[in-house]
Amino acid sequence: MNPDPFENLRLELRRGSVVLAVLAALRREQYGYTLRKTLSDHGLEIDEGTLYPLLRRLESQGLLNSQWREEDKRRKRFYLLSAEGARVLEQLLAEWRRIDLSLEEILKEQSHGNN
Amino acid sequence: MEIIERYLEAVKFWLPKGQKEDIIEELAADLDAQVKEREAGLSRELSEAEVELILKQRGRPVVVANRFLPQEQLIGPLLFPVYRFVLKIICLCYLLPWSLVWIGMMTFDRAYRAQQTHVSWLAAVASAWSTWWTMAFGAIGMATLVFAILERVQARSHFLDEWSPRKLPSVRNPNQIPRANSIVELALTLLFFVWWALNASPRVLDLGSTVRIELSQQWVWFFSAYLVLAAANAALAAANLLHPYWTVRRASLRLLSDAIGAVLFCWLLRAHIVTSFSVSTLTAEKSLRVTQAIDFCMDKAFPWAIVVSVAVAAAGIYRIVRVKPPDPSSE
Repeated sequence: MNPDPFENLRLELRRGSVVLAVLAALRREQYGYTLRKTLSDHGLEIDEGTLYPLLRRLESQGLLNSQWREEDKRRKRFYLLSAEGARVLEQLLAEWRRIDLSLEEILKEQSHGNN
Repeated sequence: MEIIERYLEAVKFWLPKGQKEDIIEELAADLDAQVKEREAGLSRELSEAEVELILKQRGRPVVVANRFLPQEQLIGPLLFPVYRFVLKIICLCYLLPWSLVWIGMMTFDRAYRAQQTHVSWLAAVASAWSTWWTMAFGAIGMATLVFAILERVQARSHFLDEWSPRKLPSVRNPNQIPRANSIVELALTLLFFVWWALNASPRVLDLGSTVRIELSQQWVWFFSAYLVLAAANAALAAANLLHPYWTVRRASLRLLSDAIGAVLFCWLLRAHIVTSFSVSTLTAEKSLRVTQAIDFCMDKAFPWAIVVSVAVAAAGIYRIVRVKPPDPSSE
């Protein structure tokens, strides 16, 4: 168990956000390694031990489609958001924005209360 | 590179059967892409040590494979607190009493002690230790098995999802004494007091025309002490009925009365109180054997009585400790 409470809470907070980021990034077809790079380039580091099981879980839930294809003489598995995935992504983004708004409201209220 | 193949083979061993090839192919492609990108950046091939570092960063093969496995629990978070509670009960109500009885018998029962230590004390302790562990494994194993089955049933039927706040037990003040308890206690103590006073005083008891029991001189003391104790208990129950909250004073009096009762009872078991037991239809020799059998049973019951006494005293002490300052309106 990690003794640092911030690290534990950060991981907890990130868990749901990573799903959202993966679904959003897969509106464009990518394979695992490039997906990881895309996320990393946007400041969201994710290790392969987390990413690949997550991709499989999302695919088993029908949110992603995948297919093996050859590219640069190497077989790779490409992932793309499914129609169901696109619908769920919209719902999750709306929920994300609602949470963000609520949090902003709470923080604003607190800062007014303190002043 | 051979080291990568060895790594992937080790991961593959732990993966779920139907997905082994698929997952390994994807992991191989990912590793290959990472190595190629690193090599492109360095404009040279990676050394084995550099590849080893990449593999070490990915984690142990079993850990990597484990992330692809379904997350399973023998006992889930819903049932685990109940499971832990049951384990505590097993320890407190089964394993601890057994240990105390064993210690009690080894301390107070000479025949048992002689039988156990005929080889050596070490052998006796080792034998008890072995029995204790067998019991502990059996009881805890059985509880674990039952909860593991319940977990599987719960996962399918969700029977624990059916609940109602109305069925939850009412909030209870541990210092409150239910009036019903005090009424029952008072009635039973008074009944016992009257019965004891009217029937238990003689040292010679004739049960019908055939059975005659003679008790030793010590019975008089025992009879008087229990009579006084019953009167004190009746008074305490009456006080509890009028003021239904434990106070330190009354909880201490209850502990004192329980302790005296327990000591008297334990003393009775060791006092060889029955001097003669005769049945008109039995020969004198058989009657003597019955008397000896009663003594033997009382001897055997002694360690158990000690355990019960200790438990009663512990409960009494706990009651005193947990008593909060009394509510002025209740006294």
